[in-house]
Amino acid sequence: MSEISKNSAVEMRDVSLAYEASIPVLRDINLSISEGEFVSIVGPSGCGKSTLLKLISGMIAPNGGEVRVRGAKVVGTPPSIGFMFQRDALLPWASVIDNIRVGLECARVPKSEHEARIQSLLALLGLEEFGSHYPHALSGGMRQRTALGRLLAYAPEIYLMDEPFGALDALTKISMGRELLRIWSEQKRPVLFVTHDIEEAVSLSDRVIVMSGRPGTIKADYEVTLSRPRDPRKVRMLPEFHALVDKIWSDITEE
Amino acid sequence: MSSAPIEPIAELSKSSAKTKRRIALLLARLALAASILGLWEYAATYWVDPFWLAKPSDIAVRLTEMAMSGDLWLHGSATITNAFLGLLFSVLIGVPIGLLFGANRFLADTIEPFFLGLYSLPRVALAPLFILWLGIGDLSKIVMAFSMVVFVVVLNTYEGVRAVDRELLDMIRVMRGSQFYLARKVILPSVTPWVFASIRAGVGLALVGAVLGEFLGANRGLGWYVEFSAGRLDVIGVFSGLFALLAIGIGFNEVARAIEARFMRYRA
Repeated sequence: MSEISKNSAVEMRDVSLAYEASIPVLRDINLSISEGEFVSIVGPSGCGKSTLLKLISGMIAPNGGEVRVRGAKVVGTPPSIGFMFQRDALLPWASVIDNIRVGLECARVPKSEHEARIQSLLALLGLEEFGSHYPHALSGGMRQRTALGRLLAYAPEIYLMDEPFGALDALTKISMGRELLRIWSEQKRPVLFVTHDIEEAVSLSDRVIVMSGRPGTIKADYEVTLSRPRDPRKVRMLPEFHALVDKIWSDITEE
Repeated sequence: MSSAPIEPIAELSKSSAKTKRRIALLLARLALAASILGLWEYAATYWVDPFWLAKPSDIAVRLTEMAMSGDLWLHGSATITNAFLGLLFSVLIGVPIGLLFGANRFLADTIEPFFLGLYSLPRVALAPLFILWLGIGDLSKIVMAFSMVVFVVVLNTYEGVRAVDRELLDMIRVMRGSQFYLARKVILPSVTPWVFASIRAGVGLALVGAVLGEFLGANRGLGWYVEFSAGRLDVIGVFSGLFALLAIGIGFNEVARAIEARFMRYRA
């Protein structure tokens, strides 16, 4: 494997992981995400793609190889990692505003700035009228928007997203993707986006990494050449889009 | 992105429907109470020897007399205060112990068999000891009530800590929130409904403890009054004491429910 490049945000070298030695989950993972890059990981369920994110966020440690974030070896949770969960992980006892505030408090943003930051995030995400609502009163899309608001409030420098829109209906999913791309294009922070939805992956990403089933290995790595800025709905009509989706489909199904 | 509300939230119609339901429920409960008391009155008048079963009307007269003379307050306040203090100390002491068990699994596993042993020990058997140690005053009743309730509070709090959503913990940890922040934002609010569940169970147990203490050695309290009346074969007195206890139980439960509702407003 090559030297760690200066501008790689996330680097995994020969990473492997097994639960209780006998159950291999990931094998020989080599992966590099550049600054500002939007990378998706697709693969069959149980291939360890979510585990990959947990390794990068330091929630679990690998058995072999090493994980580096901005050149520093991951021990515990590195700073400025933002993690988005498939289930929104909202505090059920806190309003939308207070859930977003969690991000500000964890980032140790001074209290005097909270109000203004929260208001601008609510506006950004179209949640102005729902600030005082509790999660149980919100639709799935609204809940994920709140979770995204919390993540943006934390202002991470690297985004790890674990099937964040997986539980949403198709329409909401596309509109959330569009929203995410808009925010990403303004910030240009690296995003590692795990999904089982190939079309979602291709429509959003610069690169799509395909993983094989257990133990998870990296099977293919595709550059997505579709032009930016993109509309993740309109892009689905292009022939290049379908060609790539098709190729990835056959990669996964030939297992 | 459009900001049109995706889920219309019909606050108004919901709340008026709730009020209607509440009124219907109250009427149904009153009707149930009235029919039971009516049947009882009939049975006690025509079927059963008044030596065994007091008539509700006689009980009402006795309770009114007791209220006028101040006896009801004298006995009722003792029982209420002792049960309440037993419950209060159970929460104040039980919740921290439960949290400690939750924070330290090794400690919890070490103590568990002894703790469960004590929990299974019929506390009734401890009552004579409490009276021997603490006298026939209020303290022995408070400790009795405490010994009934504290175990439930500890076990529930511990269970609550174990049931905390792992993903919420991960969420705070990834954002590098402090342990204190984690406890305040995630653990305590997750445990709260479990503590309230133990308080609801504890209301009845605290009354049992207080009354039990009064049975065995006291000079006032509703338990003492029931025991005293039974000794004089005064069945109306026995039932009056029981009615007063019933009313206190209902009152305690309602208060506990109201406090819980205030804390759990997010569930709506």
